[in-house]
Amino acid sequence: MESKVLGRIGPRVAKSGCAAAGSCGGTDEQLAHLPEEIRKKVYNHPCYSEQAHHYFARMHVAVAPACNIQCHYCNRKYDCANESRPGVVSELLTPEQAVKKTLAVAASIPQMAVLGVAGPGDPLANPERTFATFRALSEQAPDIKLCVSTNGLALPDWVDELAKCNIDHVTITINCVDPEVGAGIYPWIFWNNRRIKGVKGVKILIERQQKGLEMLVERGILVKVNSVMIPGVNDEHLAEVSRVVKQKGAFLHNVMPLIAKAEHGTFYGVMGQRGPTHGELQALQDACAGNMNVMRHCRQCRADAVGMLGEDRGAEFAMDKIETMEIDYAAAMPRRARVHAAINEELAAKRAGTVHVPSAPPSPAGTKYRPVLMAVATAGGGLINRHFGHAREFLVYEASSQGVRFVGHRKADRYCGGGDTCGDGESALAGIIRILEGCEAVLCSRIGYEPWELLEQAGVQPNGEHAMEPIEEAVMAVYREMIDLGKLDAGHDAMQSKARA
Amino acid sequence: MALSIVGSCVNCRACEPLCPSEAVFEDKPHFRIDAKKCTECEGEFADAQCASICPIEGAILDAAGEAMNPPGSLTGIPPECMAEAMAELQAH
Repeated sequence: MESKVLGRIGPRVAKSGCAAAGSCGGTDEQLAHLPEEIRKKVYNHPCYSEQAHHYFARMHVAVAPACNIQCHYCNRKYDCANESRPGVVSELLTPEQAVKKTLAVAASIPQMAVLGVAGPGDPLANPERTFATFRALSEQAPDIKLCVSTNGLALPDWVDELAKCNIDHVTITINCVDPEVGAGIYPWIFWNNRRIKGVKGVKILIERQQKGLEMLVERGILVKVNSVMIPGVNDEHLAEVSRVVKQKGAFLHNVMPLIAKAEHGTFYGVMGQRGPTHGELQALQDACAGNMNVMRHCRQCRADAVGMLGEDRGAEFAMDKIETMEIDYAAAMPRRARVHAAINEELAAKRAGTVHVPSAPPSPAGTKYRPVLMAVATAGGGLINRHFGHAREFLVYEASSQGVRFVGHRKADRYCGGGDTCGDGESALAGIIRILEGCEAVLCSRIGYEPWELLEQAGVQPNGEHAMEPIEEAVMAVYREMIDLGKLDAGHDAMQSKARA
Repeated sequence: MALSIVGSCVNCRACEPLCPSEAVFEDKPHFRIDAKKCTECEGEFADAQCASICPIEGAILDAAGEAMNPPGSLTGIPPECMAEAMAELQAH
């Protein structure tokens, strides 16, 4: 599915694949230029493979509270159960509790494939707690992939230990390769028993990040690079970051939007630094895609998230509930293996192209239909299978004469589900209509009458006709329909806006 | 001559392993410093270790009760901006 669909994106992605591999080969999937060994590691990792994230779940355990740097988008005081963003956590676990929680989740959610330590501080600034968790899990649950996310400052000291624990994926957050740019992002680092402020500290951080990246690549450990896009601070600089990290061997670049609000109490939030618009983020991701593989399905999850990307079932596995659970992991393992095998088989069939994929509509000679963005409500499995009213996020796809491509996701709950006491009181539906800006249709399994009308008025066509169908096929079908109805003909838009006025 | 940890501590544990005198210990509701053991890192390090990694302004006090990391010194947020933002939020 993904292979064919992405293949039709056209020259841009195909070129990045070629440039990275030196040859195109016979396939055009986004990660297809990677050596087979790496692809095997990636195909069932929801955070690394766009395809896998529809099927496999992940969880984070919050065992690492200490940090060795300060970032302007982080506030170490913040803790709110309604917040869903990186670095935020409600329940800190001991390594023993983390192991028990992981086994409990993996036994009850067999799709759970990956366990990550991502904070809420920096995992490698808490080496004892982080590695105690990894060591125990690599022994007790060898069927779970382990990964870690770090700011990179301590990374070179721990690369060998990471390799020993069979960690084959590491994410480094790299927001800059220029200390002058970084001085606007990192106020200080703690290094060699000193707090070092300003450019001097950032220079050390950058050197350590780059050294850590090189050491991991040398050992065959996969490296993904995360960057936070901060308009006016590092937005123009991130294409350079992408170029540098790709050249050093990172296999995926994940550009994420800054999340900043005054109530977060962060430097950026209080000082009024804005985050990027959906359009700005997409444009930068497109620019970086010229350099390397860019990830667009990241959900910026909490340091204690549980479940499929985009969902958080953490509350079902709070520590008080775990304590009373009897977990027979030995019995769960064969069941997990069967579920994973079935999913892998389905994914392999899709990669091989034996599953039907939508074809692009033929455009009459001399005409070229403009691309259209559509939002999709899904509960996983690559299908349109979520009720509009139940969707907490929408995946956004672009349909064009070159096919269908996934371009990103948009959160429906604006990072907060706190009701009256939290947020600005905007009605949920108005909020959703706003986040769907730029999308001309929304595909879901069902939708109520009231939202239908309001969406239509806002210029977003609701569509419940493709329930349970594969996303890309449905998006292409709707695109063809728009063409047949003449909605994409030159001049139609102008007529529409005239009619509305 | 000893430093102390006060109520704004968020229990991030960063200071505990750094203390050369093992004066920092876990306690409820937050970590504390054993005044009998604390040397303020005199003779060991140029700067007191706990106060050098602590991310929370005002959470560690010197012997005179003054904040080792005064408001604005770690986050870079001018205290008046923080006060204004918080007042704005409370007004809603």
